[in-house]
Amino acid sequence: MPNKQLQQQQQLQQRLAGGGAGGDRRKGSKLKIKSVSKSNIKDGGGDADDFDAWIKSRQLLKPDDQLELTEAELAEEVTRVLTTTNTNVIHNLVVYSFKDSAFVQVPIAGNTVTLMQMEGSALHIDSDEAKIQMEEMGEIGYPLPTLTGSFIETEVEDRKSRIPKVEEEEEEGEEKAAKQAKEADEEMPEEELEGEEEEAVEEGAADAEAAAAEEGGETAGAPTAAPATGGRKRKLLNQFNFCERSALTYTNPRRSVETQTIPPPRSQYGANVLQWKIYDSYAEDFEQQQKEKEKKDDKRGGHRKDVGAKKLDKAAEAELLNKKYLKAWQILERMINQNIYEEIANDYRYWEDPADEYREQEGTLLPLWKFNYDRIRKLSVTDLLFNPMYYDLFAVCYGSHEFMKQPNEGAICFFTVKNPSYPDYIISTESGVMCCDIHPTYPFLVAIGMYDGSVAVYNLRENYEKPLYLSVGVHNKHSECAWEIKWGPDMADGEINFYSVSTDGRVFNWVLMQNDFMITTITTLFLTNGIVEGPDGTEVQLRSCGSCMKFHPTNPEIYLVGTEEGLIYKCSIAYSSKYLMTYNAHHLTVYRIDFNRYNSNIFISCSGDWRVKVWEDMRPEPLFIFDLGSSVGDVKWAPFSSTVFAACTNEGKVFVFDLNVNKYKPICVQAVVPKRKNKLTRLVFNENLPFLIVGDDKSTVTSLKLSPNLRLMVKPPKKQQYLDQNTLQVQKLDKLLSLVRELPNDMIVPDAPTTTKS
Amino acid sequence: MADEGANPEKEAEKKIVHTYPLVKHSDMNEEMRTEAIEMSITACEKYSSNYEQAARVIKETMDKKFGIYWHVVVGEGFGFEVSYETKNILYLFFGGNLAILLWKCS
Repeated sequence: MPNKQLQQQQQLQQRLAGGGAGGDRRKGSKLKIKSVSKSNIKDGGGDADDFDAWIKSRQLLKPDDQLELTEAELAEEVTRVLTTTNTNVIHNLVVYSFKDSAFVQVPIAGNTVTLMQMEGSALHIDSDEAKIQMEEMGEIGYPLPTLTGSFIETEVEDRKSRIPKVEEEEEEGEEKAAKQAKEADEEMPEEELEGEEEEAVEEGAADAEAAAAEEGGETAGAPTAAPATGGRKRKLLNQFNFCERSALTYTNPRRSVETQTIPPPRSQYGANVLQWKIYDSYAEDFEQQQKEKEKKDDKRGGHRKDVGAKKLDKAAEAELLNKKYLKAWQILERMINQNIYEEIANDYRYWEDPADEYREQEGTLLPLWKFNYDRIRKLSVTDLLFNPMYYDLFAVCYGSHEFMKQPNEGAICFFTVKNPSYPDYIISTESGVMCCDIHPTYPFLVAIGMYDGSVAVYNLRENYEKPLYLSVGVHNKHSECAWEIKWGPDMADGEINFYSVSTDGRVFNWVLMQNDFMITTITTLFLTNGIVEGPDGTEVQLRSCGSCMKFHPTNPEIYLVGTEEGLIYKCSIAYSSKYLMTYNAHHLTVYRIDFNRYNSNIFISCSGDWRVKVWEDMRPEPLFIFDLGSSVGDVKWAPFSSTVFAACTNEGKVFVFDLNVNKYKPICVQAVVPKRKNKLTRLVFNENLPFLIVGDDKSTVTSLKLSPNLRLMVKPPKKQQYLDQNTLQVQKLDKLLSLVRELPNDMIVPDAPTTTKS
Repeated sequence: MADEGANPEKEAEKKIVHTYPLVKHSDMNEEMRTEAIEMSITACEKYSSNYEQAARVIKETMDKKFGIYWHVVVGEGFGFEVSYETKNILYLFFGGNLAILLWKCS
């Protein structure tokens, strides 16, 4: 027994030390141990000099009781065998067994002490339990990951390789080994340590396999079994081995829309309700009501009038003040103008053309100022008239002679020579003003006739912009353009009145009543032999269209009317149905007639047929005929000479005749305005000074000074020095007329009883 | 004493004169105001002895006519400090001794 035990121990030793090496290796291991021990001894002494010279000599301590050995003793080889046998273990411990009623040997305690034992959750892949689990979960079939697969394979290979090793080990004596194994199998459970279970199992398995191989079965049985089970193997799910499948759907973007309404506005209010407050507020309110009532009463009463009166007072005051200032400003304006036009003003008064002395029978016209009103540019001057009281103040009527382009505005302006820049008075009308007349005794009363046939009277002294009288209504006016207007002498009752003539063929007398006019038809200008038979036997008496009118200077009853037919009627206010005389004067419209200043039997007429004719009362043939080359707009006798007259034409020329100087030719022909652009329409002499004004169809009035040759006075003969200029002028004209009369002596018509004696 | 007694009587007479509704403060529009005044007056005349009832009636009517959350105070003496939805307040005196306050606030 001891031998056997020793053998077994040796085998174990071999396995532990050499990993199952052969029997030859035992010596090697022993030698190794020896050499180690030797070197250890050597290190203690001599080698220090060689290798550790640089280190400070190390003093090796020797225990005092160290044995001193001889060389021989040191050289002796001591064989020392190390075993795992725990010498402290009691091998022969016995315990009395009552069962067997004998001492039984207690099994030897192992060298290992189990401190903690825990069941693991991991299973070996080859274990039965694992296989069962895999089969249970086999429904999820995945091919096993290669890593696991390879692991299994290597494991299997390991087993393969291990098995042959074991076989080799035991090759020396298969039979012996088999026997030993059988013996070990029998004895080991009793003797060997429980802690070496694995080893034992492995050994057992190896032994069993070996035994199986011995029996003649193939050793490859186990390896083949492993892959066979691997085919059925399913994947084991654990945290390292899983595959997840998922799909991500498209997430719609989120959007938030919100609105907030504005909360209704809030306010704060607070008060205290107290009886006396209620009382007070009632009292206050009541008072207020009373006051309002009073106010209303006041308003209903005379309160308003007071306010109105106050306003009026204020306005009047302002006006008064304005008038005051106005006068000052006007004076200032005149002074400025005088300064500006100083040269013209000097010429106007004092310049006499010295060239006239060397000119025979000729004269010139010196242009002075031009009078314009800025707001009126396109109307033509329809009438010119000097104020009878203020010699340098004149009225200019603005209208239009155009039948087709009649503007719906007109004006009458009063200019003064002292202020050529701006009219002193401006009166605007709704229709073109065709004529005007200033009352001789009341020089502030202006009567105007308008294109629409109505007439008006203005008072220049106050509120002159509004008419004092205005003919209103259809029957209260001429039915057509009023061509000329003339103040008549006052009536028996002192009522002032005027006459007007119009295209409608009637002459009206307008009497100024308290508020309006009283109209009397003086004459209706029926054409002689002008009766036309209508379709059903009715007779229409044609009228001639009046175009101008002139009263006899001395006999206020007699007047001349020029017509568009070219006739001139001599009429009397006393006989409304009969003409005193009819002159077949012109072929076209008679524009103007003028009586001679010194001999009232002589009158002159002009017409659109280019002619100017001088007539003697009741003589059907003209005394003089002048052809001026274009339509003659106006003709006037000069106030200073009985034989001088001036005419203006459409060509823009002014003609001045002095019959005493030249009976056939004008002594002055002067173009005043450009021929193409402007036409001269009206002309008038100043009563006091030797200048005349001419109006054209572009709203401009030009003043012209007559040169000395144009206003030659009559030199009294030496015998009759006492005679005044007036008589001389009359004599001059008579002399001239007698010359003319002589020629058509037989043509002289005997005086009719109705005519005034010439 | 007699004189003293007479004076208050005169004043009382004066007071009696002013029993018409007097709007002390209001920013309602014309139509709404006239209607509210009329309605409050009728309510106060009807429940002249029970102000609570009067206030309740006014409140309920106003709620019906002009939308909910009206508040009404009827009394002879009180103090107030209210915040209201603008254009929705009426503070009037009535009957010489009565104050009625209506306002809307939701």
